[in-house]
Amino acid sequence: MRCERCGKELTNRIIKINGVTYCDNCARLMGYDRFLREPSDLMGNPFAPLDQIASSLMQMSELDFGNSTLTCPKCGMTLREFENEGRVGCIECYNTFNENIIREMFKQQGNSEYAGRLPAQSADTDAETKEIPQIKKTAKPGIETVKMDPSANKATGKEETKAASVKEEEKGGLTIEQLAKADLGMLSDDDLEKGIKIAAEAEEYKLASRLRDELKGRKDGGNNG
Amino acid sequence: MAEWYTNEGKDNDVVLSTKACIVRNIKGYNFMPRLDDKECQSLLETVDNAVDKSIYNGGNAADFDNETVLRLTRLQILGREASQLVEPERKAFYYNDDASLSITVGCGEHLTVKAMKQGHDIGVYKTAEKEALNLESKLDIAFSENYGFLTSNVRLAGTGLKILYTVSLPAISKTEGGIAALTQRVSQYEWTIYPFADRGEIADSDVYIIASVNTLGVTEDELLKRGEMLITDVIKAERACREEIATSKKEQSADIYGRSYGTLRYAGMISRSEALQALGWIRLYHDYDDSGEIKLSWNTLDKITMDILWEPGAPSRKSSQSAASQKYRANGIRNILKGDE
Repeated sequence: MRCERCGKELTNRIIKINGVTYCDNCARLMGYDRFLREPSDLMGNPFAPLDQIASSLMQMSELDFGNSTLTCPKCGMTLREFENEGRVGCIECYNTFNENIIREMFKQQGNSEYAGRLPAQSADTDAETKEIPQIKKTAKPGIETVKMDPSANKATGKEETKAASVKEEEKGGLTIEQLAKADLGMLSDDDLEKGIKIAAEAEEYKLASRLRDELKGRKDGGNNG
Repeated sequence: MAEWYTNEGKDNDVVLSTKACIVRNIKGYNFMPRLDDKECQSLLETVDNAVDKSIYNGGNAADFDNETVLRLTRLQILGREASQLVEPERKAFYYNDDASLSITVGCGEHLTVKAMKQGHDIGVYKTAEKEALNLESKLDIAFSENYGFLTSNVRLAGTGLKILYTVSLPAISKTEGGIAALTQRVSQYEWTIYPFADRGEIADSDVYIIASVNTLGVTEDELLKRGEMLITDVIKAERACREEIATSKKEQSADIYGRSYGTLRYAGMISRSEALQALGWIRLYHDYDDSGEIKLSWNTLDKITMDILWEPGAPSRKSSQSAASQKYRANGIRNILKGDE
């Protein structure tokens, strides 16, 4: 999940205010400090509500209402129309509302840089569908890597994440092939660290650097907000 | 030629269809919300000249009769509410013989190339890309080095590509916390999952759409590979849940399976919701029925499911709940099942 204001991956707690998801940092910048406070903070600072009002007023003075009438010179679309509809009217709008468009892209995707193919050039892809064998016909006990247990949660009454948890098994004994094909987002920090060593030993430096970047990204992300 | 969704697809016990949609806009024209009628006619003519008529049928939507509109809805080229046919003179639809490949003009973006296959088949991307490349070579497409392919909806800017898997998940749905756990899993891949329902509709089945989100910061290849890893997980998870339910509650499952088939096979009137629920139970227990009394192929099951899902008109509409439509639906199902026996 990403912060809908800055687009950063949410690694710590999730703060939802009026249906919008924020990271700690953005919630603080938006003046929603009260949502970040632990009960003990209030005990320690009885004037916390006053601080919060003052903080909100400070934030309001920094808001920029000047751009709401910004208009595209080619198609006449205004910034307000774009913000309401999420659509632009012409190519020129991408220049006119550049900052707002980038912000919108970040909100949705956490990225605003193009990495796809060029016009009239085929994408270099070898993705193909491999039929997955049916359990009943071919599966042997213990082979299936994904299992959702319908009975466990009913029996224990635990949280939904525990019930029907989708778990990867047999992670031990990572190989270069497995690491190269793996979705790095699915590997644990420990596996990434092990993977870096394995890749470095095998002189697969490109793979090692991918793993390192993933691990670094997580650690950096963990410090945000 | 047979309609695309009646063909046999891979993993079609779980995946009803795989779709790839690529959107493009043409330089020199405003995007659809700011395109006046005169410009729009010029756009339609420009695209019409670029479309290969030896492959595609169709044309300007204003020329479609009611029967064609219903057929194109069932073939999943038009939305079920046929809302895309508001202002039909500003839209055009081109489709090949089995309707597995289509080019839509004027619905949201200037061009939408859509390739569809029954079951699990990521080959749809290459099919859609081939047509997109063809149009890109003939038309002056809006493209920027920073943002990629430019679109009216800025959330599509970039690759302009969406991959959608339509999946039937009766067992995960019946597993407590199953959909929540799956949703979490899907978001880890930066994809999304939502119930099969149009805006304002009530979801009345255990059919879901699993769709890609990112059009920026990711190559087409990465997106497709990620999607394949995700859908593989989903298929395995659904099958594992089916096995769990079908074996741990064998008698109850077998009973509901038989009753569900009986209802579909012999009902004189059936609501959309009842039919979809019955189909879900049949899907869940289908591979575990040892009696051999019910003869029903996955292909038939998928065809009935998609026929009902893509009935013109939303489930909240009174017309789809009327006695006449319930009779019509039941009759259609009976005939298909009779043919499969």
